[in-house]
Amino acid sequence: MAALTTGFYAASKGGAGDPTAGGSSGGKCSFRRKSPAPGSGGGVRWRSIAGTRPSVRNGQLLVSAGLPALDQLLGGGLAVGTLLLIEEDKYNIYSNLLFKYFLAEGIVCGHTLLLASAKEDPDDILQELPEPLHDDKYKKELDEVSSHKSQGELDISMKIAWRYQNLPKMEQDGPGSSSRFGHYYDVSKRMSQEMIHSVKCHRFFLPEEITSLPNVESCALTHGYTKLLHSIQRIISEEGFNGSCPQKKQKNILRIGIQSLGSPLWGDDICCADTPEHLHSLTKFLYVLRGLLRMSLSTCIITVPSHLIQNKAITARIRNLSDTVVGLESFLGGEKEANSLYKDFHGLIHIHQIPRLNSLIGDVSDMKDLAFKLQRKVFTIEVRDRSPSACVDSERK
Amino acid sequence: MLQLLASRGDLVLLRDSVEWEGRSLLKALIREIALKGEQVHVLGCEVSEEAFREGFDSDTNRRLVYHDVFRDPQGCAGIGGPLGALRACLRGADAGPCTLAVDSLSWLLLRAPCSALCQALRALGRGQLRVLGLLHEDVHGPGPVGALGSLAQVQVTVGGSAGGAVARVLRPKPRHRPTEQTHWFSVLPDFSLRFHKEPSLEAPLQHAPPAATADALAGLTFNIHLSEKEKEARDTLALPFHFSSEKQQSLLRPAPASSASQIFYEPDAEDYLDQEDPDDDLDV
Repeated sequence: MAALTTGFYAASKGGAGDPTAGGSSGGKCSFRRKSPAPGSGGGVRWRSIAGTRPSVRNGQLLVSAGLPALDQLLGGGLAVGTLLLIEEDKYNIYSNLLFKYFLAEGIVCGHTLLLASAKEDPDDILQELPEPLHDDKYKKELDEVSSHKSQGELDISMKIAWRYQNLPKMEQDGPGSSSRFGHYYDVSKRMSQEMIHSVKCHRFFLPEEITSLPNVESCALTHGYTKLLHSIQRIISEEGFNGSCPQKKQKNILRIGIQSLGSPLWGDDICCADTPEHLHSLTKFLYVLRGLLRMSLSTCIITVPSHLIQNKAITARIRNLSDTVVGLESFLGGEKEANSLYKDFHGLIHIHQIPRLNSLIGDVSDMKDLAFKLQRKVFTIEVRDRSPSACVDSERK
Repeated sequence: MLQLLASRGDLVLLRDSVEWEGRSLLKALIREIALKGEQVHVLGCEVSEEAFREGFDSDTNRRLVYHDVFRDPQGCAGIGGPLGALRACLRGADAGPCTLAVDSLSWLLLRAPCSALCQALRALGRGQLRVLGLLHEDVHGPGPVGALGSLAQVQVTVGGSAGGAVARVLRPKPRHRPTEQTHWFSVLPDFSLRFHKEPSLEAPLQHAPPAATADALAGLTFNIHLSEKEKEARDTLALPFHFSSEKQQSLLRPAPASSASQIFYEPDAEDYLDQEDPDDDLDV
């Protein structure tokens, strides 16, 4: 996992770990970072944490969201200490898939997981995680997919701009990106049991925690949310993710996944009524959660069924209180499915918000018109080609 | 239709409206399940027991366990309100697979908070129990209907047109795309289900697909279609920056010393090679 660090950090790590050989193996440059001697323990010494890398733009520590295409859209990855909100699609198929990618990435990198759900038992969710693919198998999958396509349709190779023929369909992160950061997964297969059990996984299943309906609900938050926040706080402080207990062992990241927050199963009625009683419950929960995340080494993914929320003001507030917001809109069962423009894809993906952490500008991607499709094994995100010639071509097929 | 009821632990939501009522479909499904030998518990809130049992044969009536709330709606206050009545239905049930039919969920939604109802249904739905719920769509706003819809594993919407009643079955399976099937059916007086083929409506169907594609290109003020001759002409056009064979040869040949760089000039057809340099008279 040390291979995840970029050259800059490799130099300092070489200096910290092996003082004698540091100069020769540390790198091509003779410039060496002044770092305290190993074992002195003074100040904050940066050791690389498994599964993370610093952002090439502002040095922020990033973790992968599980889907390298999504990482590129979010500016390299998810920053540690932030909240990723996914607005669910209508039948919660693709948002559930993104949720599972996040958790699977945590297991592959060796992070600790905390899984909270009101609908499904967290153990059942863990059993359904996709299996990691090796790089060469993934390339084979992509080739299979593209060859499948070209059999059916005319192979339009570029005649004028033939030098750009082999460019990838999505922008790459830049020369500094290392391909080991994100992993690829095979959706049709399950992750093996020993891999799942190799990491520590905490669970929060609402029907277990609340055995009887309370007579008096706390005025600020619904009962379920309060319990969940207490549980998260307890785990963060017990396991030392906020630096409370000085650990000799390697620091680790806590990945929190909360499924379908705001749905009626959590006891919240923002999805059911136009003027809900617990109007501010979810927003207060997000506010407290973000505070907990900022002071610890953790990231959180939350899926919210915002297509059920009738009051648009609540949706706007929820978006403001989250850091990164991704919305999924699937074409299934809607009128868009029959439209020829959307034939190749299964849905649209909207990046509503990207956080501006320690900087003045955000990392907004240039490509706004993005669509996704779920092939048999992989989930791809592409730019949607909206030119009229694309309609003509699709008509011809 | 019974494949949709094949899996246990499911919540099947039957959505109907004033124009197309779903109670007869519910009773038809109950009859089919009872004929297989399973016990069916019914929580009756909207019609009386006699009215509900009417039309069923004696076998079905024997397997039907009716919990009557219609007779005394306020009587369930003692056992914890309407949701308590829902949970109490299964108290006397024998172990094994059984089905609970709720007639109707709308009645419960009007008397209990939606989130509590969803939690109660979720708690019931785990295990061997199958729940059939009747929901009147037009009574509620889109919020509660959507919330119950997201909870259900199978949604059956009763609708129809002049040709007859139609049941649109939607089952969002977790990994694959949700399937939506349309069944044309009718319910006979003894509550047996009969499925028809779709009544032939050939003519209107043909107009539908072209309209969908024409929409995308309708508003363009220029012509983007090419005739065959134009397509041929476009394909045979020689492009200006095409990778000519001479350039290819030079790249393939090992390059000479880097000081000498070569310029390839292919004179164009219209190029005018004038010996007399036009810039000679410039005194620069």
